[in-house]
Amino acid sequence: MSKQINLTIDGKQVQAAEGTNLIDAAESVGVHIPNLCYLKGMRGIGACRLCLVDVEGGKAPVVGCITKVKEGMVVNTATEKLQEMRKFIIDLILSMHPLDCMTCTKAGVCNLQQYAYNFEVKESNFTRKKFGYPVDEANPFIKRDPDYCILCARCVRVCKEQGTNVLDFMGRGVGAKVATAMDKPLQESECTFCGSCVDACPVNALLEADRWRKGREWDYIKNNSVCLSCGNGCDITVSSKDGAVVKINSGSAEGSVEKYICAIGRFGFESLSSDARVTTPMKRVNGSLQETTWKEALDLVAEKLNKADGKTGIVSTAGILNQDAFILSKLAAEVIKTKNIDTTASLYADVDSMKFSDSVDFDAADVIVIAGLNPSQWERTLPALDAGIRRRVSRGAKLIVLNSGNTRIASEASISVQADEALTLAQIAKALIDKGRKAGKELTDAVSGLSVTEDIEKAAEMMVKAAQPVVFCAPSLFNASRNLSLLLDIKVVAVPAEANARGVVAMGLTTEGKTYKEMTSGEVDVLYAIGELPLTKRPNVGFLIAQTSYMTDLAKQADIVLPAATYLESEGTVTGYLGKNKDVKMVISPAGDSKQHKDIFIQLSKVLGAALKETAEIKSANEVSKPKFIPFEKKKGLDSSPADIIEGTNASVINHSKLLWLKEALKAGV
Amino acid sequence: MTEETTQVKMEDVQAKADAKKCPVQRSLVFVEEFLAGPMCGKCFPCSMGSYEARVRLKRIVDGSASEEDIEKVNTISSHMLVASMCKRGKDTAKYVQEHIGSSEVAEHLSGLCAKHECVEHLKYIIVPENCTMCGDCLHACKDNAILGEKKKPYLSGYTPFEIVQKRCTKCGECMKVCKYDAVKLISAREMVEKEPVKV
Repeated sequence: MSKQINLTIDGKQVQAAEGTNLIDAAESVGVHIPNLCYLKGMRGIGACRLCLVDVEGGKAPVVGCITKVKEGMVVNTATEKLQEMRKFIIDLILSMHPLDCMTCTKAGVCNLQQYAYNFEVKESNFTRKKFGYPVDEANPFIKRDPDYCILCARCVRVCKEQGTNVLDFMGRGVGAKVATAMDKPLQESECTFCGSCVDACPVNALLEADRWRKGREWDYIKNNSVCLSCGNGCDITVSSKDGAVVKINSGSAEGSVEKYICAIGRFGFESLSSDARVTTPMKRVNGSLQETTWKEALDLVAEKLNKADGKTGIVSTAGILNQDAFILSKLAAEVIKTKNIDTTASLYADVDSMKFSDSVDFDAADVIVIAGLNPSQWERTLPALDAGIRRRVSRGAKLIVLNSGNTRIASEASISVQADEALTLAQIAKALIDKGRKAGKELTDAVSGLSVTEDIEKAAEMMVKAAQPVVFCAPSLFNASRNLSLLLDIKVVAVPAEANARGVVAMGLTTEGKTYKEMTSGEVDVLYAIGELPLTKRPNVGFLIAQTSYMTDLAKQADIVLPAATYLESEGTVTGYLGKNKDVKMVISPAGDSKQHKDIFIQLSKVLGAALKETAEIKSANEVSKPKFIPFEKKKGLDSSPADIIEGTNASVINHSKLLWLKEALKAGV
Repeated sequence: MTEETTQVKMEDVQAKADAKKCPVQRSLVFVEEFLAGPMCGKCFPCSMGSYEARVRLKRIVDGSASEEDIEKVNTISSHMLVASMCKRGKDTAKYVQEHIGSSEVAEHLSGLCAKHECVEHLKYIIVPENCTMCGDCLHACKDNAILGEKKKPYLSGYTPFEIVQKRCTKCGECMKVCKYDAVKLISAREMVEKEPVKV
């Protein structure tokens, strides 16, 4: 823990960690220092000057966003003179800001509105300035209205820090404008429509495109939940109104590098109410799927499962909740009595990598190694990992990229080794041993014959010097990467492609019979398929049960379809790739007759004659095991790329929301 | 901050401003040169404040100002002096503050510019007593603002030249060419007070 500093802010005793700025320190005791350009976690720029505070003994006021706490400091944040100056600045900003709070969507959460209220600036005392910039609303995601912009540069800095680097200032002073390169519309820039800028904007200059008259902040019910679209499982804050989701924002703590969600997480919710949803059970009658009742459907499923006589298989996505997975594994073992149960996680991850990955504080990582992974915001494969790493690098962390192919993130790396990853890891181990790190005989022998290049030498040096080195690796490289933890204190995390891969493995959804690949290639008679599986063709099985939220290609070919709730309609927990258990909230009630996965399993167990109960306590997923040496090899058979899995499991969401526009636009090469 | 903006130095800005004599002109030139040159736009009070100050100063110059405008320039410069991020903003604020308090500035509200630099407050007139109707000013005037015909020695009944105020852009060329001191610069208010000239 870093050194604690004692100071006084507005007469209150404050204790803050060394290096904390005055705004954060004041916030910790409930004193708000006004600011418009400050963004927690990022270096202050002192542009808006609202956070100027008096420090006793100082000559002139100092800016709270940059000034760090000092022992014995006495700070006054709201002297009459300071307040008058703040009022002056708000007054100036208001003179160039439309005064249409009565129809403004941002009313209620607009910082400028709040400060104008606090400082009693009803109308600007200065000359009204109007710019008349064109509004950029050519894309269906983000609306940019520069007339509202107060030039705080938050969006510009957020975009730059996470490496997207689309927005910047054009011109300077009052006439400046936030624009893309050559002032092109967003879709013609490199914008990924992640919407980080929307979350950062303090006013109405950047907004979700379709928000007009869909209610304002005080109309919404807000819930913190988790996005389960990909392996990053980002925190989200979901706003709903009248039983429908209106918008989704990033929900991670202010200032955390994890504060990012991609376009799928932010804008994919439209698919919840699309006609692709399955809202009633369906069964195949004379070759076509027809609506039926839950009773009839479950009776039929039970009958088929009973008749299958051991030739039953259950496959699921790894995007279901821990509670779902827990009951499913019980259902398989105790009720259906089959060992053929597996998840899509087996396509890209082995059990070890999911069970023994470390828990990591991303914000503390100062040397990050990524092995065999190619996260990309632009392709939306593990985009939050990409953004998070770039943010950490912007904040001073070092990045080492080990990949046999080309990666875009390599441009951010201090060291990038483009060679076989397992070999490189072994070479790093060798370099570490050469530096005097102690290792067991097995490990020493395994790497003894290797040569070490200058880059690998440097990489090893970096890891040794780091306070908290972290390896993010492809699950297939987990064992190879984990050998490094025999040599130094390093955290190793295998990054799965799906949000709850660590959870479903911990809940026991790993096969002791047939694997996912075997089952989906027709080695069972009755296949119970759960979730939106990355399959488009019906496996060659006698009877196919599809339990899904959307009418996927697979569901269309099923014999029976059970409507399941989506993750925004379910309640439970997931285990994120960083090892943290996260709460998933039921934000809206399940559409139509659909039910949560676990409820369907419980109902089904009743019909099968052995009623399961929902157990309240679900133990955390993390298992701790002492690492031991395993040869430096890339594990075979885990060849499904995260990109394919993410595309496959999210196909329904993408094709039935405005994300389709983005997909088409990318194809068209706009 | 780009290369361009750093090229103009604060000393250059001050030199240009100091070349003027009227305190309003000095302030305006300083602020305008500052905005066009060294202003980096990094902090709000300076970039927005100097922009607003320019608006107000221009009003004082063109005669549409009220007491409030002078007061606002005063407020802006005093806040800018404290709140600006760097010395350049503070220097601008200081310069404006030093000049805006002058009584000459207040005189502008009643249409007077003691240093005869704020053209909106001035009028060029032709003193009939001095005018010889030589026609030099007629040639010099690019705005066709001077009425009159060049005197021919063998003719009589000519009237002296006259400046049509609505057309006059106050370029001062006529004054430069007049050999007989017949073009005079006066405050707008002075002329209103005077009786019509008898010929």
